[in-house]
Amino acid sequence: MTTVTQARALAGIRVLDCSEPQGHFTGKLLAGLGADVIQIEPPGGSAGRSIGPFLDDQPGLERSLYWWHYAGGKRSVVLDLFSDDGLDVFLQMAESADVVLETWQPGRDRPFDPLALAEHVPELVVLSLTPFGQTGPWRDFAWSDAVGLALGGPMGSCGYDNIPGTPPIRPTEHHASHIAGYYAATGVCAALYERQSSGLGQHLDVSMHECMGFTIESSAPWALYEQHPLIRQAGRHAGPQPTEPWQYPTADGRLINIFGMPRSEASWLSLVGFIQSKGMGEHLSDVELLDGRKRQLGLQQPSVAMMLADIAEFIAANEAEEIYAGAQAAGAAWSIIRTPDECLSDEHWHARGFFVDVEHEEHGRTVTFPGAPYVLSETPWQHGRRAPLLGEHTSELLCAELGLSTEELGMLVAAGVAQ
Amino acid sequence: MSEASPEGPRPSASPLDGVRVIDFTWIVAGPTCTRLLGDLGAEVIRVENEQTLDSIRFGRPHPNGFDPPNSSGMFNWLDRNKRSITVNARHPDGLGLIKQLIGVSDVLVENYSSRILENWGLSYAEQCAENPQIIYVSLSGFGHSGPQRDYSTWGPTAQALSGLTSMSGLPEAPEPAGWGYSYLDHMAGFTAAAAITAALRHRRETGQGQWIDLSQVETGMALTAGATLDFTVNERRYRETGNPPGNRAVWPQSAPHNTYPTAGDDNWIMITCTSDAEWERFCEVSDHPHWRSDDRFATLPARLRHQDELDEQIGSWTAGQDGRALMQRLQAADVPAGVVQNGVDLVVNDPQMRAREWTATRDHPIIGEHLTDGLQIRFSRTPAHRDRSAPVLGEANGYVFGDLLGLSDARIAELHENGALG
Repeated sequence: MTTVTQARALAGIRVLDCSEPQGHFTGKLLAGLGADVIQIEPPGGSAGRSIGPFLDDQPGLERSLYWWHYAGGKRSVVLDLFSDDGLDVFLQMAESADVVLETWQPGRDRPFDPLALAEHVPELVVLSLTPFGQTGPWRDFAWSDAVGLALGGPMGSCGYDNIPGTPPIRPTEHHASHIAGYYAATGVCAALYERQSSGLGQHLDVSMHECMGFTIESSAPWALYEQHPLIRQAGRHAGPQPTEPWQYPTADGRLINIFGMPRSEASWLSLVGFIQSKGMGEHLSDVELLDGRKRQLGLQQPSVAMMLADIAEFIAANEAEEIYAGAQAAGAAWSIIRTPDECLSDEHWHARGFFVDVEHEEHGRTVTFPGAPYVLSETPWQHGRRAPLLGEHTSELLCAELGLSTEELGMLVAAGVAQ
Repeated sequence: MSEASPEGPRPSASPLDGVRVIDFTWIVAGPTCTRLLGDLGAEVIRVENEQTLDSIRFGRPHPNGFDPPNSSGMFNWLDRNKRSITVNARHPDGLGLIKQLIGVSDVLVENYSSRILENWGLSYAEQCAENPQIIYVSLSGFGHSGPQRDYSTWGPTAQALSGLTSMSGLPEAPEPAGWGYSYLDHMAGFTAAAAITAALRHRRETGQGQWIDLSQVETGMALTAGATLDFTVNERRYRETGNPPGNRAVWPQSAPHNTYPTAGDDNWIMITCTSDAEWERFCEVSDHPHWRSDDRFATLPARLRHQDELDEQIGSWTAGQDGRALMQRLQAADVPAGVVQNGVDLVVNDPQMRAREWTATRDHPIIGEHLTDGLQIRFSRTPAHRDRSAPVLGEANGYVFGDLLGLSDARIAELHENGALG
C-alpha cells in the first residue's frame, strides 16, 4: 500500500456526500484521489449498508462488502437532513465544504434545493447526480441500476444471437452507477480546477441516462447518422450485419476470445508458427491468409471461415493459459475469459500492486480489495482506511471540527437527528 | 496556456479553457478521453500521420459516401471538438516539432502499446526535459510495468481478462453474452479524464506535473468489487452460485427483477421490485392483485424462491402489451420499469432526451449536416460545449506550426518536402 504522507491530487478538498447508493461510487473516486469525503448517512444508516454480498453471508450494518468497497476511505456522519435541526447543522458544514454531492430526484422529497444551495454558498461545487437529470418528463421516474441500463442503451447491445427468443442481457454489478460516476467525478474535478482561477463554484446537473448514451460505441453513430439499429451477438460487438464468433472453448473447459487477430504479416506468421508447433492449423499456411484483408473479421469471408475453423480446433485441443501466453507472445491480443476470482491468480496485477490489503480491525481480518483504476506518479490513488462504521465520525466532525458542544450533540442524538 | 482558437472565443467559458492537450490517441479508448476533455473546453490537438492513420477514420458509417480520411461518422462522433495536425514522429524533424509542442502544452495522452512512445524518444523523462510540468497519460492494456507489459489488448479482450465479460449472460448458456461493444474503451477513457482533471487541479496548486499510467484491464477489475470481495472474503468463486444470472438481480436482492416481452418483435421491458412496497404497487396496477396474497409471492424471500413461476406469470401478462404504455402505467404507480432502448431509440423515441435537447445539428465539410449527441455534465456557470465537428486531416497545421510554434511558410514547405510533416 502507498503511504499516507504522499501528496494527493484533491488534498484539502472536503466533500459532503449525501448520496444514495447510485452516488457512492462518485464519492469513492473523489476519496481515492485524496478528497476528505464525508458520507452523510440517514439515521439507521445508508441503504448501501444493506446491499450484499455480506461477510459470511450474514447481513448487518457493518457487514456489507458493497459498503466496505464503495464507502472505503470515507468518513461517516449520521444526520437527519429531513429534520430542521439536522439540515441546519448540514448547512453549517456546507459553508466550509468544497463539494456537496446529492442524488435526490428533483420532484421527490428532498431536504434542500441544490441550485439554491449553490447560490447560497458561491464557492461551493454542488453536484446533482440523478437518474434522469433535473428536468424533463422522466426526471422522477422510479429507478434501479438495471432499469437505468435498459433505458440508457448499454443493455440493448448485449445478449445472444445464437439462443432464439432470449432477451437483451444487462451486465451485472451496478454499471449505471459506474458510468455516471466517472462523469460526475470528472465534472467535479473540472469545476474545482476552474474554481482555482475564478474563485467560484457552481451547480452540476448530471443525468445518468445521458451518461449511458455515450457508452454504446458504434450504436451511437449508426443511430445518429443512419437511424440504423445494431444486431446484438453473443460475446462480441453488436453490428449492422452478423459477424463471426469470437469466443471459443478450450480443452480445460474455459473460453478464449480471439478478437485481437494479428494485423501485421510478421505477427500472423508468428501466431501460425505457435499453432503449428502444436501440430495443428494446417490451413493457416494458405497464401491467401498472408493478405491481412483476408483475415479481417466481420465480413463473413470464406478465408476467415477457413481460418477460424482451424483456430477453433486448435483452441479446443489446448489449455487456456498456454493458448493465452503463446498467442500474446506471438503478438495476438487474445485473452482468456476470466471470472473476477481468477484475476487474483495473475502475477502481473500483483506486480503492479493493483490489489490492496485493508485492515478491518473490528472483524480481526485483512481484506483484499480491487485497487487503483489509475497509477498517478506523484499523487497516488489510495484506498484509505476501511469503510466507516455507522456514525463513526459524527462527534469528530460536529464537535471537534464544527464546534458543537457535547451537550448540543447530545440533544441532537436524543432527538434522533444525529447518531 | 493556449491562445484563443482561430474562430475566436466561445460565448461562455468552459471549465478547461486554456488547457492544451496533445492527443496521440486512436481507435476508441484514447479518443473517448480526449473527446470529454474537448467538450470541457480543452484545446485538443490530434497528432496524426498520413502513413499510419487511425483506422476509425475509415470506420462506418459514412453518411455522405465513403471518402476517407474525412468521411467517417464514427470518427466525427468520437473526435468532435478536436484539431488535427499531420507530422511524422519517426522523422527527426517531426520529433523535434512534437517536442516543441510539448513545451507549450499541458497534457499529453496516448493509447499505444507500452513501448511505442519510448521507442520514438518520447518517454516521460524526455517529455519532462521539454516541459517539467507536463501531465503524461499512457493508456494501455496492461500498464507500463509488470511482467506482461508487452501484452496487448483491444476493448473486448480487456473486458474478458478483467472478469466483466463473464458477469453478463444467462446461467445455462455455454458462453457469456458479455458486452456488445467495447465498454472498457469508454470506461478507460473516462478513467483517464477523471485522473487528468484531478492532476490539473494538483498542478495548479503545486506546479507539479506527473505521469498517469493507466491499464485498461485494471480499470475493469476495479468495477467488479462485489464478486471480487465475495471471493476474497467469503471464498466463493463466481460460478459456484449459478452466475451470471441473466437479468435477475444479484445485489440488492430483488424479485421480480427481469426482462419481460412486450408487443412487437424483440421488444422487452425491465421491471424491478426491490421492496415489498414496490411489489404491492406493482400488483395493484398489474390486473393481478391476487399475486400479492399468493403465498409464493407474498414476501421477498418467497418471491426469490419462486422466481421461475413469478417471471412466467408476469411475462404472460406483459406479452402483447405496448411496452411504452406499460412503462408509463407502472411508473405512474412508482414501480421501477423501463423499456430496453437501443441507440436509435435514444435518438428518435426518447422524450426525456428530446426534452433535454440531447442531440443537436452540426455541420461538417465532408459529412454535411448531421446530429451530434449530448453533453453529459451540465455546468451552471461554465458550460461544456459541442461546437466543432471532428477535424479534417491536418486542418490545424497552419495554426499549430505557424501561429503556435512560429515556423515560416518556407520552413513548413521544407518540412513537408523532407517528410517530417504529412
